[in-house]
Order: sequence, then C-alpha cells, then structure tokens
Amino acid sequence: MSVEKQKTKILIVDDEKGIRIGTKSLLEDEGYDVSVADCGNKGIELGTSSEFDIAIIDLKMPDVDGLEVLSKIKSTFPNTICFIATAYASYETAIESTRLGAFGYIPKPFSPEELIYQVEQGIKQRNLILEAARLKQEREEKLLEIASEKSRLNTIIKSINEGVLVINLNGELSYFNYAALRYLNIQSIKIGEYVLEKLPIEIIELFNKITSADKYLLKTYSKQIEILPNNELVIEAACTPVPNPDGSLAGIVLILSNITQFKKIELIKSQFVSMVAHELKTPIAAVQGFINIILDDSIHLDREKEKEYLQRASVRLKNLTALVNDLLDISRMELKTKQREIEAVNLEEIINSTIQFLEFEISNKKINVDKNFQTNLPPIYADVNEISRLFTNLISNAIKYNKENGSIYITAHQEDDYINIKIRDTGIGMKPEEKEKLFNEFYRAKNEKTRGISGTGLGLSIVKKIVESYNGKIEVDSRYEYGTTFTIHLPINHN
Amino acid sequence: MDPKEIKKILLVDDDIDLLEQNKLLLESRGFKVVTADSEREGFKAFEKELPDAAIIDLIMEQMDSGFILSYKIKKTEHGKKIPVFILTSATYETGFKFSSSSSEEKDWLKCDGILNKPVVIDELIAKLESFTA
Repeated sequence: MSVEKQKTKILIVDDEKGIRIGTKSLLEDEGYDVSVADCGNKGIELGTSSEFDIAIIDLKMPDVDGLEVLSKIKSTFPNTICFIATAYASYETAIESTRLGAFGYIPKPFSPEELIYQVEQGIKQRNLILEAARLKQEREEKLLEIASEKSRLNTIIKSINEGVLVINLNGELSYFNYAALRYLNIQSIKIGEYVLEKLPIEIIELFNKITSADKYLLKTYSKQIEILPNNELVIEAACTPVPNPDGSLAGIVLILSNITQFKKIELIKSQFVSMVAHELKTPIAAVQGFINIILDDSIHLDREKEKEYLQRASVRLKNLTALVNDLLDISRMELKTKQREIEAVNLEEIINSTIQFLEFEISNKKINVDKNFQTNLPPIYADVNEISRLFTNLISNAIKYNKENGSIYITAHQEDDYINIKIRDTGIGMKPEEKEKLFNEFYRAKNEKTRGISGTGLGLSIVKKIVESYNGKIEVDSRYEYGTTFTIHLPINHN
Repeated sequence: MDPKEIKKILLVDDDIDLLEQNKLLLESRGFKVVTADSEREGFKAFEKELPDAAIIDLIMEQMDSGFILSYKIKKTEHGKKIPVFILTSATYETGFKFSSSSSEEKDWLKCDGILNKPVVIDELIAKLESFTA
C-alpha cells in the first residue's frame, strides 16, 4: 500500500472532444487522476476493467447510449459514483438514470464550479458507501466469528465425557448433551420439555435446594447417584445455579460424571481393609485365647502344657509379624516408594541360597530338590532382595503344599531376552476354581489337605507384584492331588 | 429347654488353636464338647452327636461357611430346638456389616446370634443360657 493517499480516479465518457479535454484539464488541476473515453463502448471498456471512484457519462453518444454505459459500469462496480451529463435533460431520463444507479444529473453546459461541486459531493457519497461496506463486512465477520464460537462451544460440550444439563426455573430443559442421556439412562429428551419427572429423585432434590432458597448462593451442590443397581452405573451430579445478567436466578446447570470405576475401586479397597482387619484380628484372638486359658482359675495346666501354649502363642505372633511385613511390602510396592538397587543378579546363586535358607523345612518333610540350570545362564538386572523374596515365597510354597517325601524340580533356561524359571512340586495341587483365585490377596486354598498349613495369604500376591514390576510374567499349572508348576518369565533387562 | 439341659456343645472352627482353647474353657465349666474343623465335618458331628448347642466360626473354607453350616443345622428337626451361634472376628468394625440385632437378618441367617472373637467364656455361656431360659 502506498503511503501517499491514492488520488481519486475519475472517468469521463463523452463524444465531444472539447468537453473531454476541458473537463480533464480542469479536474487534473484539482488533483484528480482523470481518464477519458471518446465513445460509449470505450467508456464501458474502461469503466468495467478497473474501478473508478467517479464516472461522468454523456447521455447521448453515437454508438452506445449513456444509460447503458451507466448500467454496465454499475453492474461491475456498484460503488463507482456515476453522473449523467446531458444537454437534453428530461424528467424521464433523470428518473431512469437514477433507477440505474446514477448519483447525480449534470445538465450541460456546466460551469467549472458546478462540476467540481458535484464531483466533491460524489466523492463524499463514495466514501460513505465504502465506509458502510467496510462496516458491513466487519459486522458480518463478527457474526461469523460468534457463530463459529458458538458451534465450537457446542462441539466441545457435545464431545466432553461429562454429561451437561441446563434446566430453567420451571423445570424445562434448556440445553443438554448426549453424555447426560447416557449417564441418566434416559432414551430421549427435548429442549423445552418439562424434564424434572424424568430425572432421579436426588437431582430433583438438588434442583429444589437451589431454586427454592430465598436467596440462592453461587455454590455447587453434589450427590452420588446409583443409576443402575449393583453399582453398575454410578454418577456424581454437581448442580450449580445459573444467574441471569441482572443477577436473579435463571436456572441450574448439572454436570454429571461417571464415577462407576471409582466406586468399584473404593469397594475393592474397603474389602481389602476388611480382610486385613480380619487377618490381623485372628492371630491376636488366638494369642489372647492362650493367655485367657493360662490365666483362667478353673483350668489347671501342668508346666508342659502351659509351655506348649506359650509356644503356640509365639508362633501366632511370628506369623502376625510376617503378615505385617508382607502388608508393608505390598504397600511399598504399590506406592513405589521402595528404592531399588539394580545389579546383575545370578539366579542360580539366589535359588541355591534360598534352598539353603529353607533347608530345615525341606529336610523336615524329607523333600528331594532337583535343579537343572542351563550352563552359562546370563544374569538378570534386578534388585537382589526382591528376586530373593520371589523365590523364597515360591519355594516355601512348594515345600508347604508338598507331600512327605515329595520332590521339587527347579529348571532355568534362557529364551530370547528372557530367563524362564520353572518350579514344580509333587504336592497336593489345586482345583481349577482354587487356581483362579490364587494371586488374590488373602486367598488361601482351604480344604482338608491344606489344614494346618500356615501362611499370610499374601505370598503369591507379592510374587506376582514383583514379577510384573519387572515386566515379567507368571503362569501356573496345577493338577489336584498331583502338584503345581509355576513358570516365571523374567526379562534379562527389564527397562 | 431348661438351661440345665445344655450339656453337649458342638464347636466348629478351622483355627485349631481357637478350637482347642474354647474346648478347654467350656470343659472347665462342665460342658461336654465335640469339635470339628470344617463345615462338612461340623455337620457330620452335628448329626452324630446331636449337641445341645453349636458355636461355629464364620470364615472357614468359604467366606460364609459358618452361615451355611448354621443354615443346614437349623433345617433339621433337632437343629430348630438348639441355639446356634456364629463366632467371628469379622464383625462390624472390620467392615463386614452384620449385626445380631436385626431379627430379619437373623431369620435369614438362621442363627441365633453373632459373637465376637476372642470369646469371653462367661459371656458366651450366659448367652447360651439366656437363649434356653
């Protein structure tokens, strides 16, 4: 764009040479940029090929009539200000030329002052038209922007995961999205319909709480609502007043979130806490029971029996301590607060020292342990304490659930980037339904064969957590009364 | 039934320590005690011994083994006449919501009361006797 203000462009269409030259030089002296056409056709050509601010068109020309020139220019550039100049002014032509879009009518002959005055009026008119057009365009752009903003908001509200419902004071629906229908388990609702009767009682209560107050507070009230029974669908409805521009209450907006998963986790958590409490209370009850018996005046125990009961109480306390330690381990693993020391761990060494650690239990039950390790088994990168814990839990299970004179077979070999370790026992095995629950916290197979076997019920749950924390996998295969095989796939490098 | 008539009590618990403790305590109070350590063995012992009362641990093989056993006992002719109590450490404060106060629940559970572990023996005996009184 030029910094200088653009000169006003004027087109003169006249077949009279004298007028053309005179007018041109007059207007050029006034600082205008003037073009001329000596006939109607030339006038059309010039006037429609580029936009002029002003055109002064002679009415009578030999080839094309001035009105036609006017009409052609106007239809190409409606904002060009056109004057009709004529010596044959008539009422009809004046009307006709105005109808075709002429701004003014200049009777010939005209004085220079008169012409300049008319041109100036034309320029004013042109500026007004251009300004109006500019404002109009601006307004249209704004409207378009608003429309697209509105549709964008609509799209956002329609695609969010939360349900949205806007209800006016009469209980009529003003706005909703489809997530709201889904979360309320409603087939259809319409804007404008009385919607309260379709909503759960809890939402109606929220609505009433806000709308019936003398003075509403700009505050959100929320409730958890079970939409489908058995916690199949639970939502949280948050209800907030919507004010009018003058501050009075217009209605309410409801935001509905699906909290089913959250409720499920909450339930699992509270069940876990119940189980923990039960598992902690049982050994305490047993210890308390032994103390009660020893203190009871009507029971007379000899020294030997008393000692036996104290020893049994001590075993229960030891198991209780083991349980607390297991719980702490699980919690640390879940919170990932345990600082790991990753180093090269030789699995054969770990397993051998675990067997040594459990030597007493193994020889007590006269169990034969058979090992078969691939030669040059590469080490895995892991925390030695965790890996040692893993095998202690698995091998001690293989002993505990084994038969007298049973066997334990341990093999390890490499497969691609993994080491596969199998621990097979010839113990009591598991029924399929027991196998399913095996890794659950506090699950312990309870049947005639497992009676008297102690454990915290957390051992395998810890094993699974350790294996999975190394991106490994654990599988179990079992035949009731014949034995169980655990297979662990541990990556050599878990990162 | 006259309280003096309670002579033989069936105790069922899969925790052998608790089983032995409660047996000793009850015997020291002059009762004859029959024990079993599972729901199945418990019902066998009930049929064989026809005890005057039964005290059953709740969580054995199953989470609700005790309720199953008490239900089975209460369905027999003899079972209808005797007090059956469930003994558990899984009471209200552990998150399990059963109370011995609701008669509706008791009817459904078919037992005559739920007692907390560890048991205070004289309270237990008072409960048994109040049932028959």
